[in-house]
Amino acid sequence: MTPLAAAPAHVATPGGFLLVLAVMLPVVAVLAMLALGPRQTARIALTTLATGLGVAIAIVVELLRTGAALTYVVGGWQPPLGLALRADGLSVAMLAMTALVVAAIGFFAHAQHGLEPTTRHGRAPTTFWILLMAVWSALNAIFVGEDLFNLYVALELLTFAAVPLVCLDGRAETVAAALRYLMFALLGSLLYLLGTALLYGSFGTLDIGLLSEASAEGPGFSVALALMIAGLLAKAALFPLHLWLPPAHAGAPAAASAVLSALVIKAPFFLILRLILDVAPPQAAAYAGQVLAILGAASILFCSVMALKQARLKLMIAYSTVAQIGYLFIVFPLAAGSETLPPWGTIAWTGGALQLVSHALAKAAMFLAAGVIAEAFGHDRISDLGGFGRALPISAAAFGLAGLSLMGIPPSGGFVAKCLLLTAAVIGGHPWLAATILAGGLLAGGYVFRVVDRALATPAIPLAPRKPIPRRLELAALVLALAAVLLGLVPLQPFGFLQLGRPDSLTVIAP
Amino acid sequence: MTASGLLLAAAVLVPLAMAACCLSRGIRARAPFLLAAAPLPALLAAFLVPDGTFVFFPAPFRMSLVLDRPGAILLGGAALLWSAAGAFASPYMGRKPATVRFAVWWLLTLAGSLGVFIVGDVASFYLVYTLVSLAAYGLIVHEQTASAHRAGVVYVVLALLSEACLLLAFVMLAASHPDANPLIRDVVATLPASPMRDSIMALLILGFGLKMGLVPLHIWLPLAHPAAPMPASAVLSGVVVKAGVIGLIRFLPFETGVPVWGTVLIAVGIVTAYYGVAIGVTQTRAKTVLAYSTVSQMGLLAVLIGTGLENADTGATTLVAYYAVHHTLVKGALFLAVGILAATGGARLRPVLLLTAILALSLGGMPLTSGALAKLATKPMLGYGALGYAMTLAGVGSTLLMLHFLATVARDARQNPEASAPPGQVLPWLAVAAASLVIPWSLYPAIAGETVQSLFQAEALWKLLWPMALGGLAMIAVSRLPKLRGAIPEGDIVVLAEVGSPALGRLILGIQQADAALRRWPAAGLSLVTIAALLAGALMLGA
Repeated sequence: MTPLAAAPAHVATPGGFLLVLAVMLPVVAVLAMLALGPRQTARIALTTLATGLGVAIAIVVELLRTGAALTYVVGGWQPPLGLALRADGLSVAMLAMTALVVAAIGFFAHAQHGLEPTTRHGRAPTTFWILLMAVWSALNAIFVGEDLFNLYVALELLTFAAVPLVCLDGRAETVAAALRYLMFALLGSLLYLLGTALLYGSFGTLDIGLLSEASAEGPGFSVALALMIAGLLAKAALFPLHLWLPPAHAGAPAAASAVLSALVIKAPFFLILRLILDVAPPQAAAYAGQVLAILGAASILFCSVMALKQARLKLMIAYSTVAQIGYLFIVFPLAAGSETLPPWGTIAWTGGALQLVSHALAKAAMFLAAGVIAEAFGHDRISDLGGFGRALPISAAAFGLAGLSLMGIPPSGGFVAKCLLLTAAVIGGHPWLAATILAGGLLAGGYVFRVVDRALATPAIPLAPRKPIPRRLELAALVLALAAVLLGLVPLQPFGFLQLGRPDSLTVIAP
Repeated sequence: MTASGLLLAAAVLVPLAMAACCLSRGIRARAPFLLAAAPLPALLAAFLVPDGTFVFFPAPFRMSLVLDRPGAILLGGAALLWSAAGAFASPYMGRKPATVRFAVWWLLTLAGSLGVFIVGDVASFYLVYTLVSLAAYGLIVHEQTASAHRAGVVYVVLALLSEACLLLAFVMLAASHPDANPLIRDVVATLPASPMRDSIMALLILGFGLKMGLVPLHIWLPLAHPAAPMPASAVLSGVVVKAGVIGLIRFLPFETGVPVWGTVLIAVGIVTAYYGVAIGVTQTRAKTVLAYSTVSQMGLLAVLIGTGLENADTGATTLVAYYAVHHTLVKGALFLAVGILAATGGARLRPVLLLTAILALSLGGMPLTSGALAKLATKPMLGYGALGYAMTLAGVGSTLLMLHFLATVARDARQNPEASAPPGQVLPWLAVAAASLVIPWSLYPAIAGETVQSLFQAEALWKLLWPMALGGLAMIAVSRLPKLRGAIPEGDIVVLAEVGSPALGRLILGIQQADAALRRWPAAGLSLVTIAALLAGALMLGA
C-alpha cells in the first residue's frame, strides 16, 4: 500500500472562517469564564449563545448564497499534513439545529438558576455553563471536521464534557450513572482509536476526502472501519449497547438531559454516517447498512416497549431516545441510492435528516418540560401527576406538541420524516422496515398518551405546585416544541438544502 | 382566490382560529358561546358554494379544497348538527372551568370533522383525519369517570391503529405518483392498475372501517359514544363516524369498480348491520342502544358503498351521502333527545316522547320520514334480489332496536320528578329534528330522480310498512325474554380482547427482563464485540 499523492483535496472558501468561529467561540467563552470567575459566568454564556446563534445563521446564509460547501484549511496546510474543516448542507443543518437547541436550553437553565438566588453563582450553575460551552464546541467540531483523528479529539472532548453533566447534582446514584457512561464511552473511544490507527498505518492519511478518493479496500480496512463504527455505536447507545443511557439521561438535571439526549448522541451517529457514506466502498456500505438497520429496528421496537412501561417520566423519555435513535439507523438501506441517484438525492436521506433535527427539537422540549414538572411537584412519577395540565398548561402543551412529533402525527417534522422513510421503504420493497416504522409510531403514541392522559385528568384534590413557576421557565420547551411542529411545513420531497456541497449533487433547488 | 374558495377555507379555519383564541383569557370565558357559531361558515359553504369548486392554496400550505355533491350533502348535514349540538352544549355543560377545555377539544374535533368532507389532496386529508381522530379523545374522556377512561384508552389504541393503516395505504397510493402530495382523485384513478392494489384496498377498508365501526372493529364505539357528555355523543355518533364514510367515498375507485372488494364490503356490512341489532337489544342504557344502532347503520352504509364498488356505479356516492346525512341528523337528534328526556317530566313528557318516537322510527323507515326517503332512494341500487331482502330485513332489525330504545327511555323517564328542560336545549333539538325532515325531502327529487308524489302511492307505503310491522312483532317476542336484558356487556368482544391481556403482560415482562439482562456489563461487552465482528464481516463481504 502506498501513501497517497498530495493533491489539493480542499480549497478554502471565503466564508470558511465562520466554521473556525463556530468551533472556537465556545472555547473562548470557557477561557473567559475561568478568567473572570463565577459571577460573570452566566453573562458570558448568554452573550456567547446569542453570538453563536448569529454565527450559525451567517453560515446558513453563506451556504445558501454560494450554493457550495464552506471549507477552511487550517494554516493553509493541505491534508494529509494539515487539517481541513468543511461544512456541506447536512453539516450546516446540524450546526444551525445545535445552535438553536443550545440557545433554548441555555435560556431555560438561566431561568432555572434564577429560581434560587442563593446558589445562582454556585458550583453547579458555573460548572453547567462551562460544560455546555465545551459540549457545543465539540459538537461543532464534529459536524465540520474532515480528519478522523481530529474528529477523535472532538469526540473525546464531547465525552469528557458530557459525563460530568450527568452528575452535576452530586448525588450518589447520578455519580454511578456517570461512571457507567464514562466507562462504556471509553470502551467506544478505544475501539475508535484502534480503527483510526489501523487506517493511518495503511494509508498514511486520516482525511475523509482523501480516503474517499483512494477507494481503499482490503481486510485491514474493513476491520478498521468495523471497529470505528462499533465504538461509535457504543457512544450512540443503540440497542443493545444502551446500558448507560437510561440512568444517565434520566438522572441528570433537566437542562443537561436535554443537551445529552437531543444533541450529544447525534454526534456519533453523524460520524457513522460519514464513515458509511464517504469512506466505505458502496457495496460494503450496503452490507454494513443492513446490519445497522437490523439493530435500529430492534432498538425502535424493544425500547419503545420499555418506554411504555416506565414509571418515571424522565426514564420514559430516555428510553424513547434510544427508540428514536433507531429510526436514524434504518435510513442506511433506505437511502442506498442507485447508479443514477446518489444517497443524498433520495427521499430517505431527507427523511433521516429531518428525523435527526425534529427529534433533537422534540426531545429537548420534552426533557425541559419534564424539568419544569419535577421543579414544580418535586417528583416525576407519571401515575402521581394526574391533572398537571391544569397546573402547568404551557409545559403540558409543549410536551403534547413534542409528543406529536415523536409519534409522527401531522403537522410535525416527525411526521414528514416518518412519511418519507415509509415511502422509501414501500418503494424500495422493505416491508419489514415499513412495519417497524408504523409499529414504532403506535408504541410512541402509547407512551405519549400515557402522559397526556395524566395531564388531562381531574383528580379530586387538584395538583398544586409546591412553588410558583415563572412563565419564562416554561417558554423554552414550548418554543422548541413549536419548532419541531413547524418543521412539518417542509415539502414531502428531497430537500435541496441537504444536498448542497455534496459531490455530483443533482440540480439543486433552493428551499 | 374566489369568494367560494375563501368560504370553503373558512369552514376549517374559523373553528381552528376560535380554538386558538381560547388562549386569551377574555375569550376563554365566552368559549361555550362560540360552539354554535363555529360551524356556520361550513353551513354557508354547503349551501352557497357551487358543486365542483376546486381551490388550491400554494406552498407552504399546499392544501387543496374540493366541494362535490356527496361532500356538500355531508358537509351541510354535519355543520347543522355541530351547530345545534354546540348550542345545546352551552347550557348543558354550565359554567365550570372544565367547560373551557371541553370547548377547545370540541372546536378542534369540529374543524377536523368538517375538513374531511372538503379536502382534496392526500396529505391534507390525513392531517384533518388525524385531527378529528385525536381531538375526539378529549371529548370522550371529558367526564373522567372510570368508564370514560377505559373507553378513551380503547379508542386511542384503535384510532392510532386506523391512522397507521391509512398512512401505509396513502404512502402506497402516492408512491407511484410523481407529485409528492397528489390529489386524491388522481391517485384513486391509478389505484385499480396499481401492483399493490389488494394491499391498498385492504388497508383502506381496515382503516376507514375502524372509524365507521364495522364489525369486528366496532368495539370502541359502544364504549366511547355513551361515555361522552350528551352533545358530544350526538356529534360523535352523528358526524365523526362519517369521517370513515367520506374516506371510503373518496378513496375507493368507483369509476372502474373492484368487484372482489365490493363483495367483501357488502359481506362485512351485512354482518355489521345484524350484529349491531343483535347486541343492541340486550343493552339496558339508552345511549348504548343508540351507539349499537349507529354500528348497525354503518353496516348498511358499507353495503351501499360495496354495491357501488361492485357495480362500478359512480352515482352510488351521492346516494351513500344521502343515506348518511339522514343518519347524521336523526342520530344526532336522538342523542339530544336522551338529554332532554332526562330533564323533562310531567305533562311535557308526552310530546317530547312522541317526537322522539317519530325520530327513532325514522331509522326503521317509517313512511314520510327521512328514513323512508333514504330507503326508497337506495332501493333501486340494491336491486330486488337477495341483497334487497337482506337490507329490508336489516330495516326490520332497526325498527326492533329503536322500539327497544323507546322502551328504555320511557322506563328511565318515569323516574324523573317534575322538571322541564331549558329552552336553550329544546330549541336546538327541535331544529335538528326539523332539519332531519326538511333536508332529505328537499334533496329527494334530485337524488332519486323521482317526484315526491310517487312516495304516497300504496305500493311505496306497503314496501315500508310491512318491515315495520315485522319489527313490532319482533319487539313483542324480544320483550318476553327478560333474560336478554344486560346479557352482553357494553363493547361485547372487547371483553375477549381484554382476556388476552395476561399474555401481552407476559410478553412485556419478558422484554423488561431481557432489557435488564442486556444492560449488565458482561452482556453489553459481549454485544459490543459481536457487533464489531458482524460489521467487519459485512464490510469484508462487500469489499
